[in-house]
Amino acid sequence: MPSPILEVRDLCVDYVTNSGDVRAVDHVDLSVEAGEFLAIVGESGCGKSTLLFAIAQLLSPPAEISSGSVIFKGKDMVQLSPSELRHMRWRDYSVVMQSAMNALNPMKSIEAQFKDAMAAHSDMSVEAMHKRSAEVLKLVGVDAVHLRSYPHQLSGGMRQRAMIAMALLFTPDLVIMDEPTSALDVVAQRSLMIQIKELQDRLGFAVIFVTHDMSLVSHYSARLAVMYGGQIAEAASTSLLFEKPLHPYSVGLLDAFPSIHGPRRVLTGIPGSPPDLARPPAGCRFQPRCPQAMPKCATRQPDLYSVGGSMVRCLLYEAAQPGRPE
Amino acid sequence: MTAETRGPIDPQAAASVADAVEPLLRTVGLTRHFHLGGILSKQTLHAVDDVSVSIAEREIVALVGESGSGKSTVARLLAMAYKPTRGEIYYRGRSVHSFRSRKDLLWYRGQVPMVFQDPYSSINPVFRVSHGVMRNLQLHRPNLGSAERREEAARVFEVVGLTPSVDMLRKFPYEMSGGQRQRVGFAQALAVQPRLILADEPVSMLDVSIRAGILNLMVDLREVESVSILYITHDIASARYVADRIIVMYAGHVVETGPADVVLARPKHPYTQLLLSAVPDPREPISVSASPTVGEPPKVVNPTEGCRFRWRCPVAVDECSRVTPRLRTLGSAHSAACHVATADPA
Repeated sequence: MPSPILEVRDLCVDYVTNSGDVRAVDHVDLSVEAGEFLAIVGESGCGKSTLLFAIAQLLSPPAEISSGSVIFKGKDMVQLSPSELRHMRWRDYSVVMQSAMNALNPMKSIEAQFKDAMAAHSDMSVEAMHKRSAEVLKLVGVDAVHLRSYPHQLSGGMRQRAMIAMALLFTPDLVIMDEPTSALDVVAQRSLMIQIKELQDRLGFAVIFVTHDMSLVSHYSARLAVMYGGQIAEAASTSLLFEKPLHPYSVGLLDAFPSIHGPRRVLTGIPGSPPDLARPPAGCRFQPRCPQAMPKCATRQPDLYSVGGSMVRCLLYEAAQPGRPE
Repeated sequence: MTAETRGPIDPQAAASVADAVEPLLRTVGLTRHFHLGGILSKQTLHAVDDVSVSIAEREIVALVGESGSGKSTVARLLAMAYKPTRGEIYYRGRSVHSFRSRKDLLWYRGQVPMVFQDPYSSINPVFRVSHGVMRNLQLHRPNLGSAERREEAARVFEVVGLTPSVDMLRKFPYEMSGGQRQRVGFAQALAVQPRLILADEPVSMLDVSIRAGILNLMVDLREVESVSILYITHDIASARYVADRIIVMYAGHVVETGPADVVLARPKHPYTQLLLSAVPDPREPISVSASPTVGEPPKVVNPTEGCRFRWRCPVAVDECSRVTPRLRTLGSAHSAACHVATADPA
C-alpha cells in the first residue's frame, strides 16, 4: 500500500468580503497516492478550482485558507514560506491552467517560456534547457520545430499540449490540471486525455484533474470526488461511482447527458441552480434541488458517511452507519 | 426574382407554396470565403464551400462539426450577418438576397432569429432582461400596444420556463444563472414569432446539470410553438437527443447528412466515425484501439481539389487526393461525401 503523496485535511477556504465571508471550500479531506489519477467533478461555482488553487498555494486575497492543512511529501504547504514554496513549485508539483489560450504569453515563443520556467527553478545551462525543452515537447507529441513558434501559430490542442509539456519540465510528482480540455472539441479532447494517461503511466506522476464533465474522466481516473456547494458530496473509485452512484446529485449528473448508444431516454437534468455560497441553504446544500429530499434534510447537515467503499454526504445513508441510531 | 414576389408575402399563400414543394429554408451551393492578410495577399480562407442543405417546417436539424469546420459561418450566413461569396439561400422559395428594403430584412430576421453561444455576453448587462424581449416586440411587431407587448413578453417567458414571469422579467442578467440566461435568449427569439431558430452552440457554455433542461426546451418549442430549429453543436450525442436530422461538416464541406438515428447507427463517412468514437461514454467500455488521433482539422486556405479529410483518414485511396468527393446517396435519405463509403445493401 503506497503512502499518500498528498493529504488534504479539513481544508476550508474563505473569500473575505465586506458583507461577510463566503466559504468556497468547506472542510474538504482528500488524499492522493503516488502515481494516482484523481478526478474532481463539479459544476461552476462548486469550489473545485478554489480547492485546486488552495492545494497549489496559489490563492490570492480575498481568498484565504482559514483552517486545515495540505500535507505534500511530508510538508504542510499552508505553513511554508514563499521561498520554501518556490523550491517545490514546478520541481515537485506543477499546475496546468484551464485556458491555454490565455495562460501562454502571446509575446514570447514557446521555447522562451519554457526557459523562463527552468531559469526560475533551476540553474541549468542554456544548452541543457534547450535540450530539455525539445524533449518535453516531443513527449507530448508536438514537433520540436514548434519551440520557435508563438502561441497564435499553434492550434488549441497544440497549445494545451505545450502547457502540459511545460508542467512536465522537471518531471514532478504531482500535476494539477484545471479543466485542461474544456476549450477543445471532442476529438482533440479525447486524444489529449489518452496522451495524459500515457504520460502518466510512463512517468509515474500523480494527477489531480478538475472537470465539470463526468463522462470525460470515466475511463481515465482511478478515483472520483464529486463536489457540490464547496463540499465533497461523494467520493469513490470511478467504476463504483458510475456503477452505483449513491448521492442524488451524482445520480442526477450521470443522467444529465445523452448517450450515443442504446435507446433515447428523456433526460431530466437537475432542476434549479447551484447554491449561492454567500447564503448556503440550511441543512443539506443539495436539498432544494434534491428529488429525494426528506423533511430532516432542510434542518440537518449530513456528514460524510462510509457506505460500501464510497463516502457519501447524504442523510439517506445515515442509517447505514454502524453504531448510529435509526 | 421578379418584382411581384418582393416584400413580405401573405402567410397563407406562403404556407401553401411551402406545403407543395419547398422546404422552409434551402441553400444551394452556399459558399463563403474570407480574404486573409493584406490587400496584396492572395490567400483566401474557404470557411464554407458549396453547402446545399434544407430545413423543413417543424424540423430540428443538428449541424455538427469541430471548431473551425464552418458551422457557425453557416449560421451567420443564414442570419444574413455575412453575405455569401457564392450560392443562394431560399426562404419559403424566395431568395433572401432579394430582400433589400428595411421592411423585408426586418421581416426575414424576425422569421429566422438567432440564439447565441455565450449567455453571459449576449445579453445587455445594464438593462433588465425584459428589455431585449420588449425591444424585439417593438421592432418586429409594431402593431402591438404596450399592454399587449407586456402580455406577450410574459407569455414567452412562461413558454421558456422562466416562471413566475412577473418576477423574472424584472431581473437583471447578473441575477440569473447561465441556464436562465440562455432561456432569456430563447424568449427573445420567440417574441418575434419565428419559424426557424438558429441556435449556435446554446448549451456548450452551460453546466452539465443545466444542459438537459435547455435541450428539452428546444424539443418543447417545436411542439408548442411549431418552430424549426437549426441546432449547431460539436456534441454529437446531444445532436442525437434533440434532432431529427444530422448534418456533419468538416473543413467547410458537408460530409454526411441523414436521419439522426441512421447517421449514428451506421455512420458512412470516416470523419463521422471518428467523431462518434471520440465521444466519452461511461456506459460503454473503452475501445481497444484507443490511441491518440493524429492530425487536426486543416485551415482551408487556397485549397486544391481532393477530399479535405484525406490526411487524417484511415481508409484514404489515391482518388481522394485528386477528386473532391460529392455527396452521394447511400441509404434512404442518407448521403455521404466519400469515395470509399459503400451504400446500404438494398
